[in-house]
Amino acid sequence: MKRYMNILKRISLVVAPAMLLLTGCEDIIDLNVDSGPSQLVVDGWITNQPGVQQISLSLSAPYFNNGPATPVTNASVLVEDNEGNVYEFLDVDQDGIYEWGTAQDTLGRIGRTYLLTITTDGEVYTADTEIRRVPQVDSVVYQKETLPIDPDNGPKEGYIAQFYARDFVGEGDNYWIKPVVDGQARVDRPSNISIAYDAAFNAGAPSDGLIFILPLRQSITTDSLYSAGNSVGVELHSITNEAFEFLKQVQQQASNGGLFATPVQNIFSNVVNSNPNGPKALGFFGASAVSRKETVIDPSKARPEE
Amino acid sequence: MKNTILKICLMGLVLLGNYSLQAQSKSTISGYVKDVANGEGLIGVSVYVREAQTGVTTNTYGFYSITLPSGNYNVVYSYIGYEKRIKTIDLTTDQTLNIELGSESEQLQEVTVSTRRDDENVRSIEMSVNKVDMKTIKKMPALLGEVDLIRSIQLLPGVTTVGEGASGFNVRGGDVSQNLVLLDEAPVYNSSHLFGFFSVFNPDAVKDVKLIKGGIPAQYGGRISSILDVRMKEGNSKKREVNGGIGTIFSRLTYEQPFAKGKGSFIVAGRRSYIDILSKPFLKKDLRDSKFNFYDLTAKVNYQLGNKDTFFASGYFGKDVFGGGDFGFGWGNATATGRWNHIFSNKLFMNLTGYYSNYDYSLGQNTNDPNAKDKFDWKSKIISTSIKPDFTYYLTPNNQLTFGGQYIRYDSRPGKATAISEGETTDISLEPRYADESALYIGNEQKLGRVSLQYGLRYSFYRSLGPSTEYDYLEVEKGQRKLPIFPGTSYGDGDVIKTYGNWEPRFSVNVGITTNTSIKASYNRTSQYLHLLSNTAASSPLDVWTMSSAVIKPELADQIALGWFQNFRDNTFEASVEVYYKKLYNQIDYVPGSDLLLNQFVPGDLLFGDGRAYGAEFYLKKNKGKLTGWVSYTLSRTERKVETISNDNWFPARFDKPHNFTAVAIYDLTDRLALSSNFTITSGTPATFPTNRYGYNGWALGHNYDGTRNGSRIPAYHRLDLAATLKSKRKLFKTGDGEWVFSVYNVYNRRNPFSVYTQVNEDNALRTEAVKYSVIGSFIPSVTYNFKF
Repeated sequence: MKRYMNILKRISLVVAPAMLLLTGCEDIIDLNVDSGPSQLVVDGWITNQPGVQQISLSLSAPYFNNGPATPVTNASVLVEDNEGNVYEFLDVDQDGIYEWGTAQDTLGRIGRTYLLTITTDGEVYTADTEIRRVPQVDSVVYQKETLPIDPDNGPKEGYIAQFYARDFVGEGDNYWIKPVVDGQARVDRPSNISIAYDAAFNAGAPSDGLIFILPLRQSITTDSLYSAGNSVGVELHSITNEAFEFLKQVQQQASNGGLFATPVQNIFSNVVNSNPNGPKALGFFGASAVSRKETVIDPSKARPEE
Repeated sequence: MKNTILKICLMGLVLLGNYSLQAQSKSTISGYVKDVANGEGLIGVSVYVREAQTGVTTNTYGFYSITLPSGNYNVVYSYIGYEKRIKTIDLTTDQTLNIELGSESEQLQEVTVSTRRDDENVRSIEMSVNKVDMKTIKKMPALLGEVDLIRSIQLLPGVTTVGEGASGFNVRGGDVSQNLVLLDEAPVYNSSHLFGFFSVFNPDAVKDVKLIKGGIPAQYGGRISSILDVRMKEGNSKKREVNGGIGTIFSRLTYEQPFAKGKGSFIVAGRRSYIDILSKPFLKKDLRDSKFNFYDLTAKVNYQLGNKDTFFASGYFGKDVFGGGDFGFGWGNATATGRWNHIFSNKLFMNLTGYYSNYDYSLGQNTNDPNAKDKFDWKSKIISTSIKPDFTYYLTPNNQLTFGGQYIRYDSRPGKATAISEGETTDISLEPRYADESALYIGNEQKLGRVSLQYGLRYSFYRSLGPSTEYDYLEVEKGQRKLPIFPGTSYGDGDVIKTYGNWEPRFSVNVGITTNTSIKASYNRTSQYLHLLSNTAASSPLDVWTMSSAVIKPELADQIALGWFQNFRDNTFEASVEVYYKKLYNQIDYVPGSDLLLNQFVPGDLLFGDGRAYGAEFYLKKNKGKLTGWVSYTLSRTERKVETISNDNWFPARFDKPHNFTAVAIYDLTDRLALSSNFTITSGTPATFPTNRYGYNGWALGHNYDGTRNGSRIPAYHRLDLAATLKSKRKLFKTGDGEWVFSVYNVYNRRNPFSVYTQVNEDNALRTEAVKYSVIGSFIPSVTYNFKF
């Protein structure tokens, strides 16, 4: 849905200068809302890449509490795969970030399923996931672009980067496409989440086995254009369909402003309390296989502006 | 099914037969009542027979018929704003009496706000019906000076909107798609220009507007909440006439002319927005090829062949076009209606309507560049074609029988889309959908002394037709997306996939207490087979009309209403109080993360539930004098109940506004100057706010701990608008008139909230904040010049 909202936003950008009288306005206001009790939040995502694997536990806070989240310490955090290997995650620093392995160790294997078990405060929470196949990224290319008006962020003249990869034949592969800037894969805000079902947006629009379609390929260029010398790239993560749904709901929750806002709905969690009457957890435990490609923008190699 | 239809027909015939026998010793007067100035049929003229103390009113085509025992009678034709005419007749055989009424002196006509019988409010069987005269609408203050039908309707009791600038209107707890918007009997699927700021109806081409909120007569069907019946103006059959206006947004021009010695006439009306042209010099180079305009063209021609037949053809075509560079977006409606009025006998009147209506939109990138390696082209449309015979049989002065039927064929292409990626073409089109809907109805309006009754029955029958592939859906987790079960079932061309039939009883009663007071009550059941899927706050032009299927069941509604109607001071004031209760079934809601566009498995993203709405509407209107206008207050609730949403409890709908107060005043200061004002204050719309936040992947996400939907409310909405209409002293081209309309919208410059939402601060990802979003952030003055010659 976000894609269409972007289109609408783009239209309003085109129309706005002419409709000075009708442009809407946004004011930051004070809002009094009641808050509910704190809940356990699980933020865990393991991969098949070598490196320390992390699972963070924290508590939810009143909505307008702008401090950092309270970590949950002294929990038992175990991940077990379907071949019986058990990985214990430890919170050495007592900061709620539970870690396993060293920079050389690899946890995830494509094709295996993983069960997370968290024991804290007398409650036992579980979540399961799977690491699915991921295709190679063929290339990352960039093209010169001049924006029609001065943007809020970034240069007016710069580069749009895109990547090329092809979805596997066989329906139902889900991916999370993350931009890589200066070596770091980062999705700074939920509205920039880019997820794919096969090579396009959803199961209802068949695109099996194709090169990722254009808006997805360009989704590694988010809020601003890149400049010459920037190191840009992509991390393509295979995800489960459950993770796809989770990320979609996160993304939709962020599009709650404007004339075409979608109503706020709670985002589901795959972390389940083994006691059905016990407190519920928030967050998600996911796992990916990752393929990655990076490049440095060299104006002489850029595709010309269209 | 066939049997039941047969039974209804038989029932009708038996009734007809009986009454014909009884009526043999009587004679009938019938004919058309028209406006002497332009030859247009007058709707709702009172035809009253003094000696018999009985009467009828003319129908939507200006036709009337009344049957009386032989004798001498004085027949009085009266219509507010027109000279009364009395005809003395010696009734021995059937007579055709066509009457032309002339308007009263110019000045009197101008103070008239309602072109109808002045006590109709109390006397007619209709309840929950609002008629707003075009003359009134034209005098009311308007946004940017653009007279707008839909915006005016939003000022009536029982009508709300999700917010400023939102498309459509909500009637008594129904959503925008539950209103049947008819333009000369053809449905208009999207009544907005510019996402909802303006509506598609050209005020210069509209003759009559009627909003039916309850007590819906049996001849109407297809939507469950209301009928907005817009009748296009007929061309002047007496002389050539040109109307026009130059406004801030649109310019308008209307041309009318008679032909065939006044037996026929036509009208052509066009409007176009010109913000794009005006702003072009101010735009920078790259934006100069941006397109943003909207236009519409309305035309109607009518021809009278002999005394018994009149033919009408009318059409509408409108488009909104937006685009810039390689990108384009547009939507529009096209409708065409053909009608034949035939008088079989002086008692039996027929109107046969055929229509075609098409709504489409398109969105594309690089669609005009044949060499582009990446393209996206997406089109969606819904076409309905229909034939609809309606008969009125004037049995006796006390019984007026209506019967008829309708057949509609739907042809929907919910999404025809191709994406070309690096020269590789992907067709992500959705299957076309086909369906048809048929209906038969019979109704009678009966007078029994002080009591009038209107009762009827409609049977609607819907078929979802092949070719198509249908899927069942598996619910993995309650309230979350359901997954299609493969393989689906394939249906061939013309195969009947699913049928639904619904009996829709309709009933209204009017009990006259005194000549100035009446009590009315009504019940109606309505059904709807087409659904507009929209999960956004305001309906967007991209929303897709979806047809009922095995998974998506028809929406149904039951409504009861009770009202008290009183006129006083010689019908100067009309007052009414109405209460209503409405229950809605099979209402559609959406799973979290729903994807409604270009998704062939969209039924899996839908949730179903019920709705209920109840309220009281208070209405006081002043019809005569220098000061006219109305005050309306509605106290209401609109709720929905959908499995898993809001913990399975009733929750307020997005357009639930418990308090809704409106005052409209028009003051004729002098012959040349009229002043007007609107004031509106309504409750803020409901909203859902997160109670808690949690961090995930560096993002701050919101969570509502108790899971209630719409548990909070945004601040109240209020606004004052003012306008002045000044007639030019100088005659335009010696015979014409000109007038200036000055208006100010949102006089006291209030930033009314459209919504309040929460977000993460752009610069500080740890900071969560609340934002008030206003669509219109300032007062808006405007000037319009209108002319007529």
